[in-house]
Amino acid sequence: MSQGKRVTESCLVYTADAPEGVSEATQQALAPFDPEWSEHPVHGGYPGCRVHRSKWAEAMAALKEQAGFEMLVDHTATDYPDREPERFTVLGLVMNVDTQERVMMRTRVAEGDSVPTVSHIWKSADWSERETFDMFGIPFEGHPDLTRIYMPQDFDGWPLRRDFPMQGHNRFRD
Amino acid sequence: MPAASGDIQTVQTEELMQVSASTEASLLLTTVQALANWSRKHSMWPLPLGLSCCGIEFMATAASRYDMARFGMEVARFSPRQADLLLVAGTLTYKMASVMTRLYDQMAEPKWVVSMGACASSGGMYRSYPVVQGIDEFVPVDFYISGCPPRPDNVLNTLIKLQGKIDKERDYELRLDTPSAPEGQNVEEVAVLPGKRHGPPIALATDDERFVEQGPQKLIERGRKPEEGRA
Repeated sequence: MSQGKRVTESCLVYTADAPEGVSEATQQALAPFDPEWSEHPVHGGYPGCRVHRSKWAEAMAALKEQAGFEMLVDHTATDYPDREPERFTVLGLVMNVDTQERVMMRTRVAEGDSVPTVSHIWKSADWSERETFDMFGIPFEGHPDLTRIYMPQDFDGWPLRRDFPMQGHNRFRD
Repeated sequence: MPAASGDIQTVQTEELMQVSASTEASLLLTTVQALANWSRKHSMWPLPLGLSCCGIEFMATAASRYDMARFGMEVARFSPRQADLLLVAGTLTYKMASVMTRLYDQMAEPKWVVSMGACASSGGMYRSYPVVQGIDEFVPVDFYISGCPPRPDNVLNTLIKLQGKIDKERDYELRLDTPSAPEGQNVEEVAVLPGKRHGPPIALATDDERFVEQGPQKLIERGRKPEEGRA
C-alpha cells in the first residue's frame, strides 16, 4: 500500500500454478478444489489461494487434516463495493506451525449469499465469523450461534462495509 | 418557602422568648429545605461509572493528593441504591448506554449526574457509530466537565459547583413526589424525567415504528425524538 495507491483484490493475478514456496503437501491438499493461486506483497508475501465459496469449508478442512495447517491466524473479510457481482472477499490466513508455512485463503461472496462455516474445523473461527457477520453482514452457513458479537443485537447496519457512513449513523443525532 | 415563613416567624417571636437561657445556646433554627440541602451537599456519595481514562482521573481526585473527602464526597459507592451522584467518566458506547440508564433508574431520589470529560459530554474524538455522542441523549446532566481527561482539580471544582447548585434547591416537597408512567400506559406519556422538574423536558419515546414494539425498558425510547435534534 505504498504511494497512497488503493490496492484492491482485482489487481491480483491468479494462475493455476502455485507460486514458489508452497509445499507439495499444500498443493496436493488443495488440488481437488480448483485452486487459483496468487502471490502479492500486500499480504506480507504470503501465497494466496482462491477457491469457490461452495468449496470453502472442504478446502480449509483439507488444509488442516492433510497439510498440517493447524492454526487459523486470521479470519475476516474485505469489501469492494464496486466489484460485481461478488463484492466481498472472505479471508482466512492459516499456518502450519511445524513448517512455518502460511497460506492466505480467499473466497468471493455476493451480498446476501452465505459462506460455509469453518468453526467446526478451528474453534477460533467461531467468534471470528461472528465478527465478520457483525461488521459485514456475511452469513456463515452452519455456524452454531451466528449473532452479533460487538454491536448491540438491535443495531441496524453493517459498520465495516464501505458504503456505511463515517458519521451520522446514530439514532437521534448526526 | 412563603407558606412556612409565617409559622417560623411565630415561633421566633413568641415561644422562643420563653426558652430558658441554658437551652438557648443549644438551639438552631432553620428551614427543612435548608437543612436538607446542607446535609445532601455534604454527603454526596458518587457512583463512579469509569468507562475509560477519565476513571483514572476520578481515582486521582479521590486519592490523598486531591482528597475529595474534604468536601464530604469520599464514599464512592458501587451500588446505585446508595449513591446520589452518577459520575459518568469516559467513553459511553451504545451497548453500555443501557447499563448506564439502568443504573440511573436504580438510584434513589434525589440524584444528580455529572458528565466527566469530552467523551461523555459529546462523544469526544470518537465520532463514529458505536459511541454515544453525549450522555445527555439518555440521562439529564447537571454538569459537564471539559478536558480529555479533566484534571482532578477541575473535577473538584465541578463537584463544588454542584454543591452550590444543591444549596439552591427549592423543591424539597416536589422531590418526594415523582411522576411515573401510569399502569398499562406507554412511557411516551411521561414528558419529564422523574425528579428533574427543573431540567429541560426530554421525550422518552420515539415514533419510530421499528422500536415501539420493543417495550418501555429499551434504551432507545429514552432518547430524543429524531426531529428534535440537539437542544
